[in-house]
Amino acid sequence: MIAYLIRRLFSVIPIALGVLILTFLLFRVIGGNPAYRIAGKNATPAKIAQITKDRGYDKPYFGNFQNFPRQLFDAQFPRLVGNLLRGDFGESITTKEKVRDILVEGVLPSVSVTLPLFLLNLMLAIALALLAAYYRNTWADRSLVVVSVMGMSISSLVYIMVAQYWLAGEWGIFPVWGFEGPQYLVLPVLIGVVAGVGGSVRFYRTIVLDEMYQDYVRTARAKGVSPQRILFSHVLRNALIPILTNVIIALPFLYTGSLLLESFFGIPGLGRMLVMAIPNGDEDVIYAETFLGTMLFVLANTLTDIAYAWADPRIRLK
Amino acid sequence: MALAGCAPKQENKDRTLYLIGGDFRGFDPMDSGDTETAEEVCRVYEGLLEYSYLERPYKVIPRLAESLPEISADGLTYTFRLKKGVRFMDDPCFPGGKGREVTAKDFVYSFKRLIDPKVGSDGDWIFIHHVLGAKEWAEKRDSEAPVPGFVAVDDHTLQVKLAKPYPQLVWTLTMSFTFVVPREAVEFYGKDFRSHPVGTGPYRLVSWRRRYRLEYERNPSFSGQRYPDVGVPGDRETGLLADAGKPLPLIDRIVMYDVEEYYTFWQMFLGGQIAAAGLNKDYFKKAITPDLGLSDELKRRGIRLYKTPEASTWYIGFNMNDAVVGGKSPKLRQAFASAIDQKKLCEVIYNNRYTPANSPIPPGIAGHTDKPYPCIYNLERAKQFIAEAGYPGGRDKNGNPLRLTMIMPGASTDVRQLGEFFTDHLRAIGVELVPQPMSFAEYLRREHDGNYQVLYAGWIGDYPDAENFLKLFYGPNKCPGVNATNYQNPEFDKLYDRIAVMNDSPERTALYEQMVDMVLADCPWALMTYPLTYGLYQPWFQNYKRHPFSYASCKYHRVLPH
Repeated sequence: MIAYLIRRLFSVIPIALGVLILTFLLFRVIGGNPAYRIAGKNATPAKIAQITKDRGYDKPYFGNFQNFPRQLFDAQFPRLVGNLLRGDFGESITTKEKVRDILVEGVLPSVSVTLPLFLLNLMLAIALALLAAYYRNTWADRSLVVVSVMGMSISSLVYIMVAQYWLAGEWGIFPVWGFEGPQYLVLPVLIGVVAGVGGSVRFYRTIVLDEMYQDYVRTARAKGVSPQRILFSHVLRNALIPILTNVIIALPFLYTGSLLLESFFGIPGLGRMLVMAIPNGDEDVIYAETFLGTMLFVLANTLTDIAYAWADPRIRLK
Repeated sequence: MALAGCAPKQENKDRTLYLIGGDFRGFDPMDSGDTETAEEVCRVYEGLLEYSYLERPYKVIPRLAESLPEISADGLTYTFRLKKGVRFMDDPCFPGGKGREVTAKDFVYSFKRLIDPKVGSDGDWIFIHHVLGAKEWAEKRDSEAPVPGFVAVDDHTLQVKLAKPYPQLVWTLTMSFTFVVPREAVEFYGKDFRSHPVGTGPYRLVSWRRRYRLEYERNPSFSGQRYPDVGVPGDRETGLLADAGKPLPLIDRIVMYDVEEYYTFWQMFLGGQIAAAGLNKDYFKKAITPDLGLSDELKRRGIRLYKTPEASTWYIGFNMNDAVVGGKSPKLRQAFASAIDQKKLCEVIYNNRYTPANSPIPPGIAGHTDKPYPCIYNLERAKQFIAEAGYPGGRDKNGNPLRLTMIMPGASTDVRQLGEFFTDHLRAIGVELVPQPMSFAEYLRREHDGNYQVLYAGWIGDYPDAENFLKLFYGPNKCPGVNATNYQNPEFDKLYDRIAVMNDSPERTALYEQMVDMVLADCPWALMTYPLTYGLYQPWFQNYKRHPFSYASCKYHRVLPH
């Protein structure tokens, strides 16, 4: 197990580097020298040159081969990686805030939406999937599948717009926008659940049905075990591995927040910050969120593997 | 522009104005180059001068100065007498937390901050090339050394000495970059100064949750300013002078929310929560009829419409150093300009929110005339021009189609549609135009470096003086300066040198017109559009009059109980 974990730990390096290189290519190499934007429309060449120098934009992108080997890593990308590893996420070029402060500030609002959304979605999806599996091939099952497919086929944006127009605007049941108290979270959470539950129901229903056709279920049924007991004590337990996969892999998104919901409902979380940072070319914010998102994703993957071993004694991590 | 708004109805009794704005950088006047930041800075900070709120043409009036400056006969020394008794708001940065009186030394300190490379303000251009010794001071990088051009004669007398006459100084001193800050606050808060505004303005910051909410309350030490009693014909009839003589500000509290999505704005506006809303392209047709009036539904709600010119010009610029589009002969550039149907552009791309441009100087600014644009859309003339340029039917000597590339800022759908629009029009004269949308930073780099053939660009005026637009054609300002097209015309430059030091006069306006004619003849720009701001406001939101250069209007606004 320990050897496995160490190996997984090393696998983080190429993954994180790959993601960072792509982000760096998009925003720095293709996006251009941010000094021009920082300096403003009336900037003199001297000022642009000064900003370029002060912020290290004049260094080579990936390696300083002119001063090889002593200053090989005195380049933009290695500096970025070094700073991120040291926990120095830089500062926003627009607000001059430390990115670390921005991230700390944004976590709670993001989690206050994503956590209830995630838990409600999970519980509702598993309950409906069990229901569908229990009544499989009946009108109830088919209706549930049809509604789920319809639900997952509609874009989240449509749910947001319809809900903001009718539930908040016309009927005034919920606030249209804001982050002033729990009542402001109800509508975004509700929309998140409605938009996401269809796909989850279908996924869990398939898993549960897969299990229901296993030999041990037939044996249990032949032995006279009640259908409810088979479903809850046997099938659900054996369906735990794919459920765990789905659950743990979703955990990083609790942290990174929902881009659309946060933007439309004014939740000052990390998703919204990312949405605002991209058009502003606020690179340090983008790199930090990408880096942390990647690390959390890899961590979640590792946790999933560990959870497999815990849930199924036949699995051994080597 | 920030959108004024008003949140839940029960909260309106305390004369609170709810506003909705965009991405905001923080409360440091030195970093207030964007509209959103300038508006917030103007709630808490003030400068020597400001714009008259109601008068048009645009006019400068004293704010923290007692009167307009006394200008020496040679136009090199501006003497400002400061109002006595103006105090910075109370703040822990002062001994005992009590705000002190503003003196001339505070202005010297603030002006030095603006040109200090360590501060890195993007507004340093206001002084750096004009104030005596400013450039040399900035190069030395010694913050404590005096700048010869900024002199505190006594506590209430400030002199600004110039290296050469710069009549635009009075305009630039209305800009938030030049607003006064106390040294104590800058030193006390250090890097966090931008979160702790300490000004003299009508409001003081109560709380700020970044990217979500700002709250201000009336500044108790705001020095008595009253609502203006002078406007333009029509202001009295529309109720804009109803509050004449009343002490400012008229609203006790301002709460500003940062709403990102326009759809959300719109729902809040229809729900009566927002007092005013700008109109974007997608919602234009919902609110505005084909004859550019307000829709019946909105009229029934008592909503009012405002249309204001934006003091900006959008154009296609040609790199005059480019072997194909540049050079002395304007024929190819004229062909390009004449091939584009400006009216259709306004209709198809901008829902007629923009109007066709006929001069680099936009309407409302002295020097703009109503003369027809010489390169107005005319396909036959465009074909004739391109033939005369040596590309008959858009083909070069070898029979290959002429291929031009155009850089464009941003890669949004709007930009791509615009690129397609231009491509279609150029195809009609046989030219293959390749639009290159790119990130704004990369676009700026290419523009500064002169590394492009054709560009799509706009210039938003900093102040209402044609000089601010004509400097874009001044030879010495060529790349990497603001003359991004590298236009060189010695005759034009001679005239620019003259007008740059002239005070406003009919003679200067005549020279402006002469310079515009030169530019139109040489055609370094294919003129496109002038934006018009369309906005809506509720009947209970009072005293709203849009000013394209002033961001300090919130003190005049009023919200009626509703």
